[in-house]
Amino acid sequence: MKLPRLRPSLFELKIAGALVLAAMVPLAAALWLARTLTAENLAMALNPRVVERLETTPALYGDLFQARKQLYAEQARALLRQLPADPERWPAYLALAVERTPRLRRAAVVDATGAVLAEAEATQPNAEGEWRPAPARVAIPPRRALPSGAVLECTFAVEARFFAELSEARDLAEVYHSAEALRADIQRSYVRAFAGLLGAWALAAGLLGALLARRTTRRLSDLVRAVRELARGDLSVQVDPGRARDEVAALAHAFNRMVKEVKESRDRIVYLEKISGWQEVARRLAHEIKNPLTPIQLAFQQLEARYAAAPLPDPAFARLLADAGEIVREEVGTLQRLVQEFSEFAKLPEVRPEQSELGDFVEEFVRTNPQLAAEAELQVARGGACPVSLDRALMRRALTNLVRNAIEASQPERAHVHLGICRMRDRAVLTVADEGPGIPEELRERIFDPYFTTRHEGTGLGLAIVKKIVLQHGGEIAAGAHPGGGATFAISLPLEEGVPPSSQPPG
Amino acid sequence: MTPAHAAGSLAALLLVAAGPAGRDPPRPPPPVLATADGRLVATVELGSAFPSDLQKRLSNGLTNVIAIYVALVAERGGTPAALYGREIDVLYDVWEERYDVKVKDPASPAGRSQVFASFEALRAFLARAGGVELGPVEQLGAGRWVTQTRLELNPVSHELLERTREFIANPGAGGRGGTPSRSVLGAFASYLLRSADAGADVHELRSRPFTAREVAAR
Repeated sequence: MKLPRLRPSLFELKIAGALVLAAMVPLAAALWLARTLTAENLAMALNPRVVERLETTPALYGDLFQARKQLYAEQARALLRQLPADPERWPAYLALAVERTPRLRRAAVVDATGAVLAEAEATQPNAEGEWRPAPARVAIPPRRALPSGAVLECTFAVEARFFAELSEARDLAEVYHSAEALRADIQRSYVRAFAGLLGAWALAAGLLGALLARRTTRRLSDLVRAVRELARGDLSVQVDPGRARDEVAALAHAFNRMVKEVKESRDRIVYLEKISGWQEVARRLAHEIKNPLTPIQLAFQQLEARYAAAPLPDPAFARLLADAGEIVREEVGTLQRLVQEFSEFAKLPEVRPEQSELGDFVEEFVRTNPQLAAEAELQVARGGACPVSLDRALMRRALTNLVRNAIEASQPERAHVHLGICRMRDRAVLTVADEGPGIPEELRERIFDPYFTTRHEGTGLGLAIVKKIVLQHGGEIAAGAHPGGGATFAISLPLEEGVPPSSQPPG
Repeated sequence: MTPAHAAGSLAALLLVAAGPAGRDPPRPPPPVLATADGRLVATVELGSAFPSDLQKRLSNGLTNVIAIYVALVAERGGTPAALYGREIDVLYDVWEERYDVKVKDPASPAGRSQVFASFEALRAFLARAGGVELGPVEQLGAGRWVTQTRLELNPVSHELLERTREFIANPGAGGRGGTPSRSVLGAFASYLLRSADAGADVHELRSRPFTAREVAAR
């Protein structure tokens, strides 16, 4: 289920809360500052005198327009005063007037009925750009020999930009007037907006911080969960340290290492306890089996001696007795060997370790066991110094068992046994590999159990003895496959760095 | 009902909520009441509510807003039987030297334009708010009624409020229109600025009581 992952842990909530709190603490001061700044800015921007001046701007344009209109009316009257009496000269006069009078775009003499008697219009674009018409009409006195009601119509140009500016000034003045009226509301809105934005940013910061922190807190939560599972006895629990290289990752690695060591220790203890139980069984069996063997053997020897001294030997019986004697001696011998092995298994001594170089020990083992060298090709490969703490006698026994096992597994072929010594991290590793049929994967765990054997004549104690010796040395043993075929037994022992190996001579 | 009318109704409700127990308002002449198609139509006299510097204010070249809300209320008070709102925008054209007026009311929500060449003509128009429809005449019954009128001079209209909000959101763009907002804080503040202000120049008028019989008599 993924859902529980979505639910924040208490730790995550605390971190998020701390981040939000840290972000919110300055909020009160910031709000006070925002309120003050807004008030000061509004007081500056919406100064009543500025608003008042803005509001009078349209009136100023009104004055400007009024002045222009008066000017144009005066110019029209001036044109009228110089209007020739002869109507034939009006067009030329009006054309000259349009050309010479600034902003005059059109001049016309119109009678009372509206009929145009003479007219002149500017052909050149207005020098001041876009314009709007400003009409000025002046009545022509009757002395001009014209019907009553005639007028001189002049059309002047007023810059269009005045109207655009007036419109803009009006808009601005109206907005400023409105803003001035709403000053308190605007200030309140700004402060609320500021608070809202600041709050949103603080919240976003908290969420972002929580999300970023979650990568760490989640690993801590995983660790807590793993510790709880460990407390419930689950020694297979492991945590993902992630890709980070921080204290949490180091903690996860340490936890995993600790759990692994605890599991190995527990397995070691369990195995040793089990072996101890089996040793007790072996001791009792050896005792119970060994005791009747000698009387059986003696009784049969007496029987044979008595029959040999008999005056009239029966050949058939003699043959039967000889066969029976052979069987009894063979079986008793087998039982004695079994008893011997049981006894040896039951009497495994405590380890008395001493500093040794593992490579030297193995080479010495090969050198001092010529009978093994006679039965198999023993090859030793060393890779670096491997100082270890060894009970040399016990480890010789373990190594003998493994090599013997390899030789027997390779029969009837001559065995090739590879002895390798190398170091891996903080462990020294001794491998014993053969080129025999190998060990089926499903049996690799069970082969170290006492009395488990795949051979008809085996007792199943050899590998159990090996494992006990290795465990007593604080090491581990595992069975695997040899590349190219065969079985491999790998013994890993803790390295004893910094401790000089004993100077015991080989022998 | 348009937002302006809704706001008018709200203002009328507010003025009714103040009720007859409020400060004693000036008593204007009684409304001229008439019926048209069975509906009560009033003409309200507002001249007494206008300030003495009205001409100066209306001739300043800016858009001046006059909001009129009329409520028909029983004399003893209570919920208005009818509400009416009208907004008049007055702009003095400094070039043409005339008053351009736009009237928005239930009869013409989009507004109808009128032009007044002189202030006297404008004042006469403003002083008499005619065509104030106050619902069916039957609702008057035998009771006594009054009209309560609320006159707001230059309130912050919704249109002006929108322009102000735009100005706050985009202070660089200036007046109408403009480019998209460039201020996050201003945009947020303008979003929060939603209420219109009636302004300080508010006048409330309450007519003398009248009955349905008086309406019929006219």
